[in-house]
Amino acid sequence: MTNTSTVARGGGASPAPGRRRQSPPRPAKASGLPAWVVPYVLLVPGLLVIAALLLYPLFQMIVMSFQKVGLRQIRGVPAEWVGWDNYTQVFGNEIFWSSLRNTVGFAVVTVSLTLVLGTAVGTLLNRLSTRMSTFVVVGIMSAWAVPPVAQGVIWRWLFDADAGMINWGLNLLPDWFSRLLFGRADWTGEPWLNDALSTYLVLVITVVWASFPFIAVSVLAGLKGIPSELYEAARVDGSSAWRTFRKITFPLLKPVFAVLTILSIIWNFKVFSQLYVLMNGPTNREAFNLSMFSFAEAFRSPPKMGTGAAIAVVLTLLLLVVTSLYVRQIVKTEEM
Amino acid sequence: MKIMKIAVTTATTAALALGLAACGSSEPAETATPKADSSAAGPKFAGETLTMWRLGDSNPAAQKYTDALVAAFEQQTGAKVKVEWIPWPQVNDKFTAAAAGGAGPDVTEIGNDQVPLWQSQDALHPITPIVGAGDQAQIPKNLFGLETIDNEVYAVPWGAGSRAVLYRKDWFADLGIEIPKTWDEVVAAAKKIQAEKGKDVDGFAFNGGSDANHLLAALAWSEGGEYAVKEGDKWVGKLTDPAFKNGFTTYTGLVTEGLSGKSRLTQNTVDIRRRFANDKVGMYLTAGWDLPGIEEDSKGKLKGDKLGFFALPAKAGGATPSFFGGNDIAVWNDAKNKELATEFVKLATSKEWATRYATEGGLLPVYPDALAKLSEDPAQAPFAEAFAKAKALPADPNWTEAGETKAVLQNAARSVIEGKASIDEALAKANGELESILNQQ
Repeated sequence: MTNTSTVARGGGASPAPGRRRQSPPRPAKASGLPAWVVPYVLLVPGLLVIAALLLYPLFQMIVMSFQKVGLRQIRGVPAEWVGWDNYTQVFGNEIFWSSLRNTVGFAVVTVSLTLVLGTAVGTLLNRLSTRMSTFVVVGIMSAWAVPPVAQGVIWRWLFDADAGMINWGLNLLPDWFSRLLFGRADWTGEPWLNDALSTYLVLVITVVWASFPFIAVSVLAGLKGIPSELYEAARVDGSSAWRTFRKITFPLLKPVFAVLTILSIIWNFKVFSQLYVLMNGPTNREAFNLSMFSFAEAFRSPPKMGTGAAIAVVLTLLLLVVTSLYVRQIVKTEEM
Repeated sequence: MKIMKIAVTTATTAALALGLAACGSSEPAETATPKADSSAAGPKFAGETLTMWRLGDSNPAAQKYTDALVAAFEQQTGAKVKVEWIPWPQVNDKFTAAAAGGAGPDVTEIGNDQVPLWQSQDALHPITPIVGAGDQAQIPKNLFGLETIDNEVYAVPWGAGSRAVLYRKDWFADLGIEIPKTWDEVVAAAKKIQAEKGKDVDGFAFNGGSDANHLLAALAWSEGGEYAVKEGDKWVGKLTDPAFKNGFTTYTGLVTEGLSGKSRLTQNTVDIRRRFANDKVGMYLTAGWDLPGIEEDSKGKLKGDKLGFFALPAKAGGATPSFFGGNDIAVWNDAKNKELATEFVKLATSKEWATRYATEGGLLPVYPDALAKLSEDPAQAPFAEAFAKAKALPADPNWTEAGETKAVLQNAARSVIEGKASIDEALAKANGELESILNQQ
């Protein structure tokens, strides 16, 4: 690692900027810090902030997951150590397993849909004129900018059983068409947000709607960086659009996709606000995901923070495992 | 409203109550002066501030009463009082946050069935001395059942209540419906309302939210069912008994037979009240404290003789038993100045202020002579009828978790309504969960 800034300070006879590269690196005596320390010193403030805001709470969460923590404990009674009790209790609860299923299923569906839709939109945006593409980007990015609670409110209203646009729109379809498509013609008062399955259908739409613009714009940015000669060559060779995408676009955008996939997995595993709004609070336990389950255990009265923390630890571990497996996969293929 | 308050007012008497409130405003001036002398608190607390939580909506009647009470207290003690309103469905979450170290009250209104829970969390301060002397000694001792724990009193009853069915008197008159005397007549009336007023109207609204058990309990009790019974020191669930099952069937039948919309399985009384004010509900179980909110939400259209109450009839006729409920007032354990907070409770539960609290807020007074005077009013018959048979939900600190947080029976009802489980399966599962929640340490 070449060190530039400290050398300039310490060296009495600093070489001219143009020749700096050639001169041998000097030890930074006058600054009082050995050269290898400098990067660590510069990292310290950031690390301190992360430690205080992230690592300490994480550590505390793990500790709490082995304790019985209710209101009395928060108010000063020392917390009792209960070993693995919280975990056995969580694993013995069928709501945990349905929440786990909901969490993973939702993440798989939503991550794939978001990536496919985002990539498609990004690729198509690339073919638009600059003005038009800016216009569309601004349009879709405003969906991305909607805060999670507002997303939930918007879609909850659209899917409202009595006054919602969705039921109204489905009723406008010609009866034979609606019957052909869905096997029914009358959608009046259809309760979308009762059943876990249809609640998740609405949740998937909500989250995909709000998160594909980010993918589309990132893909668009990646596409701008691919030299157009490659595409010209492909066109000359008579390659089809799909083949061009598979052989040129996709391999070159692989790093972009890798990052986008990891981000999407992380975001979709911990969806909370939208679900909370759509379900009208944590009442329908069949539709819980792990975040909602953890919240309901930890903060609804009477609070059981120990159990809530245990669920959160499981969710965190799950996320770490999934992410690290994926990262390893990418690193491996890069090497090959 | 998790609590059952007794509503003493019907639609017709609501106006009367407001009138009384108006007349009453001249009284505090005379009575406040002798009180100030007797309490000897005087300006001792000058410059201090007391935070008081009132539960529910700050509707005009409640606001007016609170303002008058606060003014009297400020004059008596020289302290300032800050009043905050907490909507009923948020009460447990707010108490949790307050007990966990957030900004809490010094004095709070509290549902009588919530007292065991919050006492068990060390959140309430004992105020035994004030109930042994003065006005408070006249409050019947049997009203302190939920408030007395290990010989200490943690809250003072402020008003008592039961529920009755609030209905659209104008619709009943339009459609020529008589006041139902049996449950079947309720069903017939609800169907007729839906036929005439639109399919999206709830003839009789299903309550599946935080206070769902007030409706379910009334229906189950009327069949002779119970939630759980304490045998020795263990709770034994009774949800699978045929009697409870009959009541539960009636309850889920509200939705499965189409009297109430399938899309609103999680609505609580506050949600129903809002729909009622918008002409979307024909009947629902509640009490007089909902009336000011309905008038406000309907922009003044729904009031007076357009509304009425009748006692919820049982299958076999006669009134169903009602939840024995009430609102208490208590000193929060984190109060900055417990002496000042106790003074406030003492004034608020004095005969004059407690009686005004009940009569102006749609509840029954806790002082026997005031109650006797009020129950002569024929307009309160529905509440008196239900109150005569009032019963309590399991008196256990863990009940709130089963009844509201885990919503055990609400979820059982949902699985039955959606056809995912038979009534027997759902109740068997709920019974196991109820027992494990009530019996946990």
